Amino acid sequence: METTPVEGVSAMSVLSPFRDLLLTRHDVAKGWKGKGKRVIGWSCSYTPEELIHAADALPVMVFGNPEITKLADVHLPVNICSFPRSCFDSALKGDYNYLDGFVASSSCDNRDKIFDMWRYHVKIPYLHFINIPHMITERANNFFYEEILRFKASLEKTFGRIVSDAALKKAIQVYNENRLLLKEVYDLRRKKPPLISGVEALEIVLSGIVTSKEEHNKLLNHLLAEVSDRADPPEGGVRLLVSGSVMDNSELLKIVETVGGSVVVDDWCTGSRYFWDLVDSYGDPLRAIAKRYLNKIPSSFMFQSEERFGHTVKMAKRFDVEAAIIFVLKFCDTHMFDAPQLMEEMKAMGLPVLYLEWEHSLSGLAQMKTRIEAFIEMVKGVE
Amino acid sequence: MAETKPERRLQTLRGFYKKYVKKFYEDAHKTKAEGKPVAWVASTFPVEMLLAMDIFPVWPENYASLCAARQVSVKLCEVAESKGFSKDICSYARCVIGSLFQKEADLPERGMPKPDFLFASTCACDTHFKWFQFVSRHFKVPLFLLDVPYNISGADSEHLEKAHIEFYVSRLEELIEFLEKQIGTKLDKNRLREITDISDRTSKLWMEIQDYRKTIPTPMDARDAFSAVFFMLSIPGTQMAVDFYEKLRDEVRERAENKFGIIENEKYRLIWDNLPLWFDLKFFEYLNSLDAVVVAETFSHVWMGRLDPSKPLESLAKKYLPNFANCSVDRKIDLIESLLRDFRADGAILPTNWGCRMMSIGETIVKEKIDKSLGVPSLIIDVDSSDWRSYNETQVKKNIEIFLQILKEKKQEG
Repeated sequence: METTPVEGVSAMSVLSPFRDLLLTRHDVAKGWKGKGKRVIGWSCSYTPEELIHAADALPVMVFGNPEITKLADVHLPVNICSFPRSCFDSALKGDYNYLDGFVASSSCDNRDKIFDMWRYHVKIPYLHFINIPHMITERANNFFYEEILRFKASLEKTFGRIVSDAALKKAIQVYNENRLLLKEVYDLRRKKPPLISGVEALEIVLSGIVTSKEEHNKLLNHLLAEVSDRADPPEGGVRLLVSGSVMDNSELLKIVETVGGSVVVDDWCTGSRYFWDLVDSYGDPLRAIAKRYLNKIPSSFMFQSEERFGHTVKMAKRFDVEAAIIFVLKFCDTHMFDAPQLMEEMKAMGLPVLYLEWEHSLSGLAQMKTRIEAFIEMVKGVE
Repeated sequence: MAETKPERRLQTLRGFYKKYVKKFYEDAHKTKAEGKPVAWVASTFPVEMLLAMDIFPVWPENYASLCAARQVSVKLCEVAESKGFSKDICSYARCVIGSLFQKEADLPERGMPKPDFLFASTCACDTHFKWFQFVSRHFKVPLFLLDVPYNISGADSEHLEKAHIEFYVSRLEELIEFLEKQIGTKLDKNRLREITDISDRTSKLWMEIQDYRKTIPTPMDARDAFSAVFFMLSIPGTQMAVDFYEKLRDEVRERAENKFGIIENEKYRLIWDNLPLWFDLKFFEYLNSLDAVVVAETFSHVWMGRLDPSKPLESLAKKYLPNFANCSVDRKIDLIESLLRDFRADGAILPTNWGCRMMSIGETIVKEKIDKSLGVPSLIIDVDSSDWRSYNETQVKKNIEIFLQILKEKKQEG
């Protein structure tokens, strides 16, 4: 399923490496290990990757797989979010046997409790859990800073390597460069029609989440230098904002973009919310990292909902969208609760909005396609 | 087959709804009408703090369970769904959100009085505060979130991480600031100590009551416990709670001493995890009709943390942080293992809950663990607390009967 080429978009030389990286991510990670390095998996965008980088390990987000989660289903009832379910399933299948460790965090009820499943059923040499306050206050910032210190000490103890300030500063620089480059890439979609498609943009971000940022930065620089001469830009279509929790493969966006949609911006943890905020490059690096991660654009499990909605509205304006689609993973409580309010915010901007609940295994895809197609036709009709 | 005959039910629990629950809501409406502050509070929020500030606490979760028992919860859930809420979210939340759009006269007990404040904690789940955020926008009233650390090690009150206690206490200090600003009076520290002391006595009495249920045959069943736990959850720091539990303790003690069981022919002693089917509390009588009786519920054992009135804030942290909703599954396993041993139970029933991740994930681990460590069989049933649309009664009851047959065979072997 993952290897189906994108219809209507020929793979140009500056774009295909991202997709290749994404598709071969497990081999890339194993190759990294072949060079004597460590690979640490993480599950939530509040994990301070810079610390893992500074410990000379490769941080990779654990993704699910696009298949039926037979192995995880033995342990989990039906009414559980299919994303962490699929990640757990991948681990049970052995897709992540190369991991030297896995870092979880208190991000949502589904993931808090599925971490128990990892502890009991996945053999992994090192597990760590980061407590994330669910609101931003001065005391919460202090508490989170202590959690970051604890994480650093744990990495140092486990891997016998000091995480120095110099290494942290270097990591901050590499990561910030990546964030700035991704913003530039996103801005290519402000053009009409956009210079890169939504599918391409998603694959660019995802490939960076599972590969070395140094490598990714090289590819991004190359892309940005060459892309304006692109011979085969996307055709464009109804300019869409897509919102949700995570999107770890491009299948859904492919559907959207084959039925006349043009995804020009997102609001999810594997998109703009992942890279939008920078770490301060001055002052104590650990404090700067702690501050950035707790105070970044909030995910829906944070109490600061208005800021989250504010970001969505800001993105909708900046990218001049014509409509929005809210993709909510079934049984993702925080997003299900946010949906009615988010829909109101979008409607208040005069944007038509479609709410879709989906399963990570993409069951019911044909029906979703019909609904998306009808929605896009409706938006076109209004214009 | 021994049916529970009416005379076997506990006297203290007779007319409980009318005497206590109905009166509780009447008092809440009266308080509101007198212009005194009323708050909506989510479970695991340290209500002792609110009682010390003379705020009347009302519990949306209790209200939802009441609506379920009165068979109107599904109708209310459907109203929430028509407002854009998914049918997969917590049925407590849907039920209460639905009630916001109904006329007072059409609701059981005229609904909950309009809140002046909302209080939630992350201690039990994210759903609490997401749900209350909607209520806060709806009524335009402030919501205070007591954000607490997740107790990943599953530590009990004596082994909590210092940083977790400190963070909890610092949040309580912020709560005091919030309350003082909103109410316009200072927190009376003596009053807080007094409330903490009463709440502690309530916990102690509740523990005593549970202890008597270890007797064979057990003098008290889940049906009674799920009613009586009302005070532990809602108003543990009140004299009314103490008086009630003293009466209940005396009756349960007397029955335990006389070996007078809640059912005539007690054959299978069971532990019940998570919530009951509030819309079908007769489920426990159905178990009784099969000579089975629930001798302990995990739910009854998470609210009885002891409190030290000389250190109210710290002891509130110690009471609430180890609530198993806020812990790794290890804590629940420890609790269920000790209940199985101490109450000499033959099996455990592990209900999941359609709208609740906290109660649905981990039951498979519990099942495996207690089978391995104690050789005790258990049964996972897929149910919901307030929405019967996701409950397959025939299937569940068939599984219960097979399960009891397994227990029977095990007893014969053993």
